[in-house]
Amino acid sequence: MSFISPFRFVIRALVFATIGFIIGSLLASLITGATGEPAEEPMLALGYAGALIGWLLGIGVWDVWAREWIGLQPRSLNAQSWHQYFRFSTDHKVIGTQYLVTFVVVLLLAGFLAMVLRVELAQPGIAFLSDQNYNTVMSLHGIMMIAVAVATIIGGFANFGVPLLIGADDVAFPRINALSYWIIPPVAILLLLTPLFGGFDTGWTAYPPLSTLGSSGTLLFLLAFLTFGLSSILGGLNFLATIVFLRAPGMGWSRMPIFVWSVFCAALISLTATQFVAAGLLMVMLDRVVGMGFFDSNRGGDALLFEHIFWFYSHPAVYIMILPAFGILLEVLSHFARKPVYAYRWVVASMFSIVLISFIVWAHHLYTSGMPDFLHIPFMVTTELISIPTGVIFLSALGIIWRGRLWLTTPMLFALAVVFNFLIGGITGIFLADVPTDIHLQDTYFVVAHFHYTIMGGEIFAIMAGIYYWYPKITGRMYNERQGRLHFWWMFISYNATFLPMFWTGVWGMNRRVADYTDNLADLNLIITGISFVMGASFLLFVYNMVSSSIRGPVAEANPWRARTLEWQTSSPPPEENFTTPPQVVGDPYDYGVPDSVHAVVSPSGGSSDGPAEGADRGA
Amino acid sequence: MNRDTVNVFFLWLVLTALGEFVILGTDLFSYPIVGAEEGHVVDDAFFFLTALAVPVAAFVLSMLGYAFIRFRVSGPDEDGPPVKMHRSWAIFWLLWTTGLTLFVIVHPGITGILEIRHLGSGEPDLVVETEGSRWYWTINYPDGVTVKTFEEDAEMVLPVDSHVKFEVTSTDVLHAFWVPAFRMKVDAVPGLVTTISATTIGLGNYRDDPQYRLQCAELCGLLHNGMDVPVRVVSVAEFDAWLAEKAVTAA
Repeated sequence: MSFISPFRFVIRALVFATIGFIIGSLLASLITGATGEPAEEPMLALGYAGALIGWLLGIGVWDVWAREWIGLQPRSLNAQSWHQYFRFSTDHKVIGTQYLVTFVVVLLLAGFLAMVLRVELAQPGIAFLSDQNYNTVMSLHGIMMIAVAVATIIGGFANFGVPLLIGADDVAFPRINALSYWIIPPVAILLLLTPLFGGFDTGWTAYPPLSTLGSSGTLLFLLAFLTFGLSSILGGLNFLATIVFLRAPGMGWSRMPIFVWSVFCAALISLTATQFVAAGLLMVMLDRVVGMGFFDSNRGGDALLFEHIFWFYSHPAVYIMILPAFGILLEVLSHFARKPVYAYRWVVASMFSIVLISFIVWAHHLYTSGMPDFLHIPFMVTTELISIPTGVIFLSALGIIWRGRLWLTTPMLFALAVVFNFLIGGITGIFLADVPTDIHLQDTYFVVAHFHYTIMGGEIFAIMAGIYYWYPKITGRMYNERQGRLHFWWMFISYNATFLPMFWTGVWGMNRRVADYTDNLADLNLIITGISFVMGASFLLFVYNMVSSSIRGPVAEANPWRARTLEWQTSSPPPEENFTTPPQVVGDPYDYGVPDSVHAVVSPSGGSSDGPAEGADRGA
Repeated sequence: MNRDTVNVFFLWLVLTALGEFVILGTDLFSYPIVGAEEGHVVDDAFFFLTALAVPVAAFVLSMLGYAFIRFRVSGPDEDGPPVKMHRSWAIFWLLWTTGLTLFVIVHPGITGILEIRHLGSGEPDLVVETEGSRWYWTINYPDGVTVKTFEEDAEMVLPVDSHVKFEVTSTDVLHAFWVPAFRMKVDAVPGLVTTISATTIGLGNYRDDPQYRLQCAELCGLLHNGMDVPVRVVSVAEFDAWLAEKAVTAA
């Protein structure tokens, strides 16, 4: 029993989900039985809806939330034990950790799938994967990495960090917060089940008519994507409310840490744009399951329509990914160069400009889609304009490190690498924004290289910086610095050696999403595959360092980096209420080198190994 | 001017010169064979953007690399100078990034688009209807000649020095019509006819160069990667003969 008891809510949730699935699919078969339509996909879809509700009630929505809907007293499932990670805890630090661990695992799984793809691509010809399996693995790699890119920072770091950075004791809607996490496991289960249902071959973009055809694995993928979108919308809502209403006394907008600003901007996109892709996916599902024909040209539908709806979300979505990465970047650079965030107000203005412009650039994904020619120039103009605010981020990053005192810890190395990688990602983006070059490069490996430079080189490297930076705060222990730096150099060099050659394979005629290619590209692909395995291996060191340090690492001080922001002014890890008394913010967070400057007055917090939090008055 | 600024300035000059040398003086940035006038527009734009990107990248790398080496300390000792920003430098930064962006929009952006449009305007010498289906192309020439690319020895034959207009559509899902040698690409959309032009220059053959192929470039499911067919560009006389022979067989 004692082994089961930590997982009793998970087990209950699985039982409830099974019951929900049976109820939903029975309902569907009753409806379709009456009309005489084929029943399999309606049963899957409604069954899943039932299972999702059952899962959520079982994991703790019933205890924490639903009981009060029928007049009973709700119960909290928070507890000072690791058991709370396996149920509906409403503590933002628990939820942040759940997100982080979940998505690091997803990152590793999706990375493993990338290795499988690279083996197939080592030589021309079909080696060991069938065409269908290649497409499934490629599509799964895509959607899983998209999920990692969307949710790791917002769900993980923002959850753990934003309340601490603004001096709050939790987020604005703790129960919605827990809900947005517990929606994720069903998404993962659906995606992992797709191979049993014939896989899916649509890529993560799910373009109809392709996504309205094919095996039921596609339906599972669509349901997973839709559910994930719901989680993203709820998360966005929560962070906006938290940042607007829960800042500590004295923390005016101009004293907010830059990471909090970046999360605010990303949350704006997350809340508003995600609803479009959700609507689009719902329409595809209705096309598939009940044959509504929104995108079927034989029935008055329009296949191009989906591409517009899809990218109206999915282009802003890349800024859900990269804006918080910029936030971590500037945060880490400032603390480890011991200089203020350069051009702070300009950076905030730039982030808002990026949010606004990101909504009017989507059709640059459609230059070759057959949309009317006159749209090419306007969308090229808006797309290229976005490089102006992005340039201000570079201005700030370079301004921070210029004549600073660079303490090259692992997080700092990863942050500096973000500048390097995103430089390449940004510049190659111009080639794709430019219509003449994009006509050739669209849907080639040049695009693959470009978005791996922006999202992996930019965001995943920033996530690595964040993991190492906040590791002592989250776990209460220090990671191994030597292993951390070795991981950095290993990953940085092998990463660049893997993805840089892909620009060439793209220009030389290798299209995306193929298991086979022309013989002239064989040598380059073999090299890429070889080095990609070196890069994959670097993650083993990372995992080893993370796991072993969490068990045996030296106990971390409250503020090992001597940083000024609020999360470092409480114990590591922080107590459940974050700060024993609410902090009073009295100055800027980044006034390094300003004599006698103080960011906040924080009273000593209990539970810390080294007593009063030093550093509140750092910078003198 | 302090010493660090001067050093970075010279580092930037050196890196820029080095980068431009690699682009202009080596074949690292060479392009695949070009088989259409439109392809030259694309390659010229690509070359121009690369050359323009070098000083920008060199600048960021100079500052980054110099700071990495020159400003490192072994541990957290004292703070850096509390510089929040230099107003004139930030304004200068905004001006040059804006100027460069607007410049790139105009050239090679808008000029390139207009040039490709100009090449595609006017009466075409040949209209080829190309229909994508999972997972083959149906290529319809004048005189009732049809090539289905799953047939044995199927190829798309085109006349040289001709303005060829492709009318592209699909019977099922999205596909994309792409001939790497022409640098031209457009999606095949069910229920819609999209068009693209290529003004062929020089004879070419898939056997000699794999860039001469018609390749599906939009994921279309199971056999997407095999949905390609060789392209052969021949003299006008040879093309006419080929077409006439095919027309006889068809009739």
